[in-house]
Amino acid sequence: MTTKAVYKPHRFKLRLHRLTFSRFMLYLLLTVLVVIAGLPLFAMVCRSLMPLDELYIYPPRLIVHKPTLRNFSDLLTSLSSSTVPFTRYIFNSLFTTVVTVLASVMVCCMGAYGLVKHKPAGSGVIFAVVVAALSFSTHVTQIPNYLVVNKLGLVNSYWALIIPKIAVAYNFFLVKQFCEQLPDSILEAARIDGAKEFKVFWTIAMPLLKPAWTTLAVFSFVNNWNDYFSPLIFISSNALKTLPLALQTLAGGAGVVARAGTVGAATFLTTVPSILVFAIMRGKVMETMSFSGIKS
Amino acid sequence: MTVKSMPLPKQKRRMGIDRKRSLEAYIFLIPWLVGVCLFFAYPIFVSIRLAFSDIVEFKGLKTAWVGLENYQYIFFYDIKFVPTFLQVIYDTLLNTPLCIVFSLVIAILINRKMVGRGFFRTAFFIPVLLGTGYIMKQLLGMGVDGTTITTGIMVPKLIAELLGASITEVVQGFLDRITLVLWKSGVQIVLFLAGLQGISGSLYEAARVDGATEWEMFWKITLPMISPVIMMNVIYTIVAFFTDGTNPMVDYIYKMNFTNQQYEYAAAMSWLYFIFALVICLLCILLMRRHIYDSGSKS
Repeated sequence: MTTKAVYKPHRFKLRLHRLTFSRFMLYLLLTVLVVIAGLPLFAMVCRSLMPLDELYIYPPRLIVHKPTLRNFSDLLTSLSSSTVPFTRYIFNSLFTTVVTVLASVMVCCMGAYGLVKHKPAGSGVIFAVVVAALSFSTHVTQIPNYLVVNKLGLVNSYWALIIPKIAVAYNFFLVKQFCEQLPDSILEAARIDGAKEFKVFWTIAMPLLKPAWTTLAVFSFVNNWNDYFSPLIFISSNALKTLPLALQTLAGGAGVVARAGTVGAATFLTTVPSILVFAIMRGKVMETMSFSGIKS
Repeated sequence: MTVKSMPLPKQKRRMGIDRKRSLEAYIFLIPWLVGVCLFFAYPIFVSIRLAFSDIVEFKGLKTAWVGLENYQYIFFYDIKFVPTFLQVIYDTLLNTPLCIVFSLVIAILINRKMVGRGFFRTAFFIPVLLGTGYIMKQLLGMGVDGTTITTGIMVPKLIAELLGASITEVVQGFLDRITLVLWKSGVQIVLFLAGLQGISGSLYEAARVDGATEWEMFWKITLPMISPVIMMNVIYTIVAFFTDGTNPMVDYIYKMNFTNQQYEYAAAMSWLYFIFALVICLLCILLMRRHIYDSGSKS
């Protein structure tokens, strides 16, 4: 007892002493790396706050000296060359992303639950398809995808951005990993109590799968929010463009010099939601991602 | 007789339940299956057909089978394909090891007990959130003169003058690559972190008792134990670099599709590209397999 009591503080002290220098170096290194990684972000925030004269100073400035919110007000109230207000783009992005996320969560959870907990005939084939789809890159199927969407008559509508992105292999795979951990006995108990299959799924499986589908929702949100490709292909009407595409229109074309500040502001507004969503769900996402990653 | 006939109805009923459950499962699966068939399986099929044929008529996409003609064109006539392809391979081969080593080091560092661990973990993950899409391009390519932010950090002028142009160029190139790698290794860091946390602390404890140094413990415990994650990350990184939106090859294929509207040619190229990526991944798996530590309880 006494030896222990003597030994412990001694060891603690030793460790603390030994680690201070290396710990300092560690913090220094990490901070430098974070600064490097965060520099573009920081620059973006600054640029969105810079008045026009400061944007074109040579040598270019990284840090804003006279911050102004004019870029934002310009962006939101008047954009000379465009007939569609910027808020419309925000709405487009929000609407398509939110609908896609909700639908994807629902469809993928239902599918994964059905596949894992019922083991229907042919489940092996379906799973093989999922794994194959995981490793496919989308550019192989660009044109045929367009043809399908075209044939369904969805081109140039919100649905073209929503429907093709609902049944995503990655989301399905993620939920499937978690479904396998669901204890059968709980589901069986509910069935014996006379619950219909959908009720079992909705009231028992879904709450238990919450970590999986919150993560799925975050990733789905981030991916769809940042997606530049499908609106580029499917949307031609200016009024239906989503933020990333609108950003490109804003950043290119005539009068771009005068709009440099507004582009900065637009970029900033575009990045905020994904960071917010992630910041709120951070703990859960990290946990789930590592879990599913290790299992795959 | 009665004994023989007893199991029959029972078996029949069980089949009935099985079938009913199968049916229920398919009701759950139908929305997903429809989506996958429409937007994955059918496009794949069409794309394979396109890659080996020539479009005769754009309306309704009527095609004629031409065999390997598209591929002949790729290798013998297209002056842009091979150089772009080699550039992508070169970049990928250079960036992948950098990414892996870098994210492993970062993961080990932020796996320690320290103040602000959560902050650092988030900070290194933020680039993933901004995606690889246009926003990322916009972010990295910003700046009126175009170079300041692209390169992340500029070598300060004073140092540049001291070192001379050629050395500065090397240093700047190195810094550029560091920025790029940093922006591309968020997912890898998280996966490594999870792997590190999976290593039992008793191993380190035992090694410490035996008098092993931190360095020895890294080579003899951490590295072997984390090797499955390394493998997974290598595959992930290769695929990520190959399919990245800023990749010149992807850009070329895209232009072929939508600017030149040579669908069949673009399809042939993308299949070639995809299969090459797959082969590289398989090669990596084969090369690394004998060095992977297998705990025997893989799921």
